[in-house]
Amino acid sequence: MKLLQSMLALQEREGSLSDETLRRLAERTGEPLYRLQGLRSFYPVFREDPAPAHTIEVCRDVVCRMHGAREFRARLADALAGNADVEVKEVSCLGRCECAPAAVVDHHMDARDVDGVMAALAGDGHATPVVEARDAATDPYPDADAHYGVFRRFREGADQERGQVIDALKASGLRGMGGAGFPTGMKWAFTRGAKGGPKQLVCNADESEPGTFKDRVIMETLPHLMIEGMAVGAWVVGAERGIIYLRHEYGQAAEILRQEIARARDMGVLGPDGLGKGKPLDMEVFISPGGYIMGEETALLEALEDKRGEPRNKPPFPTNFGLNGLPTLMNNVETFAAVPIILERGGEWWKSQGRNDCPGLKYMAVSGDVERPGVYCVPMGTTVNDLIERAGGVSGGRKLLAFSPGGSSTRFLPADKADTPLDFDAMQEAGSGLGSGAFVAVAEDRDLLDLATAQARFFRNESCGKCVPCRVGSSKAVTLLDEALGGRPQKGLPGLLRELDDTLAQTSICGLGQVALSPVIGVMDMFPECARRLEDGGSK
Amino acid sequence: MSKDMVKLSIDGRDIEVPEGTTIWDAARELDIDIPVLCHSTRMRPVGVCRLCVVDVGARNLQASCVRPCEDGMKVETDTPKVERHRRMLLEMLLSDYPEDSAREASTGDDELLELAVRYGIESVRLPDGAADRPRGVDLSSPVIAVDHQACILCDRCVRGCDELQHNDVITRTGKGYDTRIAFDLDAPMGESTCVACGECMAVCPTGALTNQALGNVKLKPLNGE
Repeated sequence: MKLLQSMLALQEREGSLSDETLRRLAERTGEPLYRLQGLRSFYPVFREDPAPAHTIEVCRDVVCRMHGAREFRARLADALAGNADVEVKEVSCLGRCECAPAAVVDHHMDARDVDGVMAALAGDGHATPVVEARDAATDPYPDADAHYGVFRRFREGADQERGQVIDALKASGLRGMGGAGFPTGMKWAFTRGAKGGPKQLVCNADESEPGTFKDRVIMETLPHLMIEGMAVGAWVVGAERGIIYLRHEYGQAAEILRQEIARARDMGVLGPDGLGKGKPLDMEVFISPGGYIMGEETALLEALEDKRGEPRNKPPFPTNFGLNGLPTLMNNVETFAAVPIILERGGEWWKSQGRNDCPGLKYMAVSGDVERPGVYCVPMGTTVNDLIERAGGVSGGRKLLAFSPGGSSTRFLPADKADTPLDFDAMQEAGSGLGSGAFVAVAEDRDLLDLATAQARFFRNESCGKCVPCRVGSSKAVTLLDEALGGRPQKGLPGLLRELDDTLAQTSICGLGQVALSPVIGVMDMFPECARRLEDGGSK
Repeated sequence: MSKDMVKLSIDGRDIEVPEGTTIWDAARELDIDIPVLCHSTRMRPVGVCRLCVVDVGARNLQASCVRPCEDGMKVETDTPKVERHRRMLLEMLLSDYPEDSAREASTGDDELLELAVRYGIESVRLPDGAADRPRGVDLSSPVIAVDHQACILCDRCVRGCDELQHNDVITRTGKGYDTRIAFDLDAPMGESTCVACGECMAVCPTGALTNQALGNVKLKPLNGE
């Protein structure tokens, strides 16, 4: 953490990381130059050239693309033509999909049109508004004074109660909400039982998949639940500090979390006696130097170890071999935030909150073609139809064509599957997945092949480049898809794409490469018109 | 059986190895040759080229150079499925590979081209990456020629330079498809702190790092020009 934090601080002070700046850092720290180059060139926040007075980052990914991001970008270029003080960059999903098309001015101000950008540049900007999740029902506390009650009760308890926490989590059916859906109680039990220590604790707050913004809303509006879930986790596995790994585009969440950590210290929840008299517990926010791949748990650990954020080969898994080789408990924001209410009301209570035999509550980020995009807290097992209705229905009175239930890694399903319950298993059976709960509705007039290609392009853009299949395969596939969308498909393209997808899925090191082409294959399978166009180059 | 040993079968043959042994190393003991480009017995395995993937009955194939053996594992190293994926990986690498490999032309031991022959890759269906974005060459070192287009990012030179020789010069730079190798802060090799020890070109499996013809060396002292 120390080296990357030094680099971030240097860039903050000097505007960029020039060769000269890095040479000085190398002299001061004894780090070889090659290592600094490896880091500077890998992480998107670092820049070598002097920074312009202003930067505008415009999202290029699927939801913003649906809402005119390309046109927005072109209008901005016109409006700012000849202005050397302003740099306009296309970036991957900013996690503001409910405000699509999204742009961020000077790293902290929100804009969704040219007027908004101009106002921000003139000093009249604002951050993305803090909006609460609709129907949030996972806070067990009547008021702020009662916060951390669950943790304070438990930390006074006997050792055997640690096992009871794990039992409650197992009974609740809670699964990892970052996308993989691994049973949380099992993960806690593995980490608690792992040999070696001190145990490490990390909250993965790096949600970056296009369409995903639910953790942002949870961190901004219910930060105490996440901090408390982490504190309970620390108590159960025996960790003394927690690290919140936060994507750098969430500056407002960083501020809110730091305030909450300070409040928890004031309340005696964190600090020298956090885990009981003389037993310290503290937490800190680590700002990611950027990139979707950092949300992959082992890439995240590599970053915390001041390396290029490239996923590790697994096994071993972080529960046994995590940060600095130590057993590490790592969960997503939403997962940690569910812990207090589960312990307050019991695993069975949590389980009973779902519908259609699915356990618990789920925060869904809803965007795309709906009237009221936003984050919705719904019973797990709510049908897609119900979720769309909650979000005001398909926008503009249009019909639903398709939906992506869980983010760019989950395949689009046709409208006739909208009676599927939102649940890990049910979505998998339907041919897709719940992923990170990034629901994107697609209306009848959309070009699905274009959207699926945009998703493949996202994975190509965010590939770390470590392994051959993902680095080369995702790039070749996007080139081939772009040619096809331009009306010149290579002969036998559908078959070739299937072969590429198969090799990426079977041989890539991490989930990014494994799913990179899945959305494209998905639309070929479920929407014959898409497969036909890849064969003959016809347009929609 | 001692508790530190694990028993498994590879291609139907039983073997017992110390816990922590990789599948690739265990296979070698049985004289089973699993192809690989990024691994070398002198180095820490990194599992990036993925050519050494094998089937252990898991959801996906496993890179044998980094995957530890497990008790009761049944490993298959050359099924049609495994071979199919190896061919696709080779096709990916060959699609960006230059027409002429400096290694094949000089010492004749280009490992990528050797595997292409072994797997019968006769045509490549993927677009040529060099067509619109050539990666270039670096002839600034008097003794080592760098052809970035022939680099498959196997990481052998990086480990050779930084971990075997401790010269600390080479890194991967950039990210994704644009990743390549670089020296120091991405200086030309001849202007970097490279001491021309030659380890990188000795371990390079392709035409990316090769011996530069001596004709480029200036015989006059530099300050005498």
